[in-house]
Amino acid sequence: MDKPVVIYEPFRAGLPPMRPYLRSLWARRTFISEFSRSELREQNYGSLFGQLWLILNPLLLSGVYFLLINVIGGRSDSARFAHLTASLFLFYLIANSLTGGVKAITSGQRLILNTSFPRIMLPISATVVALFRFAPTLVVFLGIHVMLGLPYSWQMLWALPIILIAIVMSLGMAILISCINVYFRDISSMLPYLTRSLLYLSPILYEAVHMSHRIKKFEIANPIFYLLDSWSRVVVHAEAPSAKGLIHASVFAISIFTVGTYFFLSRERDFAVRL
Amino acid sequence: MISLSDYNHAHTAHSLAVSVKDLGLTYTTSIDKKPTLKARLKSLGRGKKFTRTVRALSDVSIDVHYGTVLGIIGSNGAGKSSLMRVISGIVPPTQGRVEVFGSVSTLLALGVGFNPAMTGRDNVYLGGLAAGMSRHEIDANFQAIAEFSELGEAIDAPMRTYSSGMYARLAFSVAAVVEPDILIIDEALSTGDAKFKEKSLNRIKELRTADRALILVSHALATIEDICNEVIWLNNGKLMARGKPTEVIAAYREFVDARKSASSDEDV
Repeated sequence: MDKPVVIYEPFRAGLPPMRPYLRSLWARRTFISEFSRSELREQNYGSLFGQLWLILNPLLLSGVYFLLINVIGGRSDSARFAHLTASLFLFYLIANSLTGGVKAITSGQRLILNTSFPRIMLPISATVVALFRFAPTLVVFLGIHVMLGLPYSWQMLWALPIILIAIVMSLGMAILISCINVYFRDISSMLPYLTRSLLYLSPILYEAVHMSHRIKKFEIANPIFYLLDSWSRVVVHAEAPSAKGLIHASVFAISIFTVGTYFFLSRERDFAVRL
Repeated sequence: MISLSDYNHAHTAHSLAVSVKDLGLTYTTSIDKKPTLKARLKSLGRGKKFTRTVRALSDVSIDVHYGTVLGIIGSNGAGKSSLMRVISGIVPPTQGRVEVFGSVSTLLALGVGFNPAMTGRDNVYLGGLAAGMSRHEIDANFQAIAEFSELGEAIDAPMRTYSSGMYARLAFSVAAVVEPDILIIDEALSTGDAKFKEKSLNRIKELRTADRALILVSHALATIEDICNEVIWLNNGKLMARGKPTEVIAAYREFVDARKSASSDEDV
């Protein structure tokens, strides 16, 4: 008799057998890239500039802040303008990942109810879409950096590990929030307020060095505070990030990713009956 | 997790395709259509339940061999769709064991269509890739899928612009064109116009080969009798009968008629 290709048995709470799960996820990696391309195509479907919006969006965003700081504020504070745009671009990687991730499972209902596949592909795809949107902003920021004549140094290579930490954090947040939204659908309605609060509580509209120590000590609870501070130091001021900042960001990123992934994987077999 | 690419070779007739042993399925689902934090907070301290437990299948054991076209009949809520979802690996069983000996293609109630804002083409590719097919396999089948669905240029329009018939046509085409070892179709033959329904039936008849197993769920008893060579009847999650289509369908009809007359007596 043939050996069964697959066996379905009752599961206890906890992780699925990881080796077959990861093999299955790897076999479907093309889905993730195809989904991201389709999503970006669909987002700009029918618009005049189409995919050009990926570059136009960050350009216009930086234009608005240039207007705010240099024209309305009347100050030619190039470092502040660069800090604002650089921080905002990285912040949007995390915010877009959360926005895409929150409905990744609930909007994939038809596929989930019809096909067996590792559900974690859906929030991963949401983060890949956010990453696709983030990549052109790096080019735009490089242009701003050159135009403003900001300093350069080898310390700027720290940007690479910081981006890696930001990706792990975005992925963890997307995985976690997509799972929470299956059980509490109002999370998607609360998300805009959550991201807006994160925007104001993080060093984006201001720099971390200008904060009072009394307030700053509470920022240890903000997962992206030191990540954005390190990012600004590296790409705007061409300085090395603080060890505390890197450790804080890494610990938060790994913790959110680990907790989110565990929560998701231990619950995902339940999704089909919860949708 | 099974995929079309994982396993696809010739099977000898009468060898086992699917083995279901003592299958039980109980699931907890929320009472509210959309579970919210607000509803959960309101229920705190009141002892109010926000979930309910559903016993969808109890001790179901069936073997499906290659060369078999198995029909599944039963009234609404009998557990037909739940059984299909467990065999397809979409919902894990809570008791028993399911063994699958080949690649599975499913066309369950909701059919294809991952994202209605995306085009039919994108949805076919995304659905196929999620099911484990390679891009090359989808490329090789895409023309046949598009032609079978008779959607024409609409294949490149967003799926939100499709009628329910167009949805059904595309869904059936995806499931039936890829030629899996085991094809599971759940109540999908009742959608689409008469012409497409006939075309679908003919396609299913073409797929009835010795090295393939088909499992069909339908309320159309005449269709089941025409296509299937074996039928099982489920009621309240339990296996009531299994055997030749004419015999099982006759027993089911008798059961339904008896229930109808009992309820009409109650009305009097």
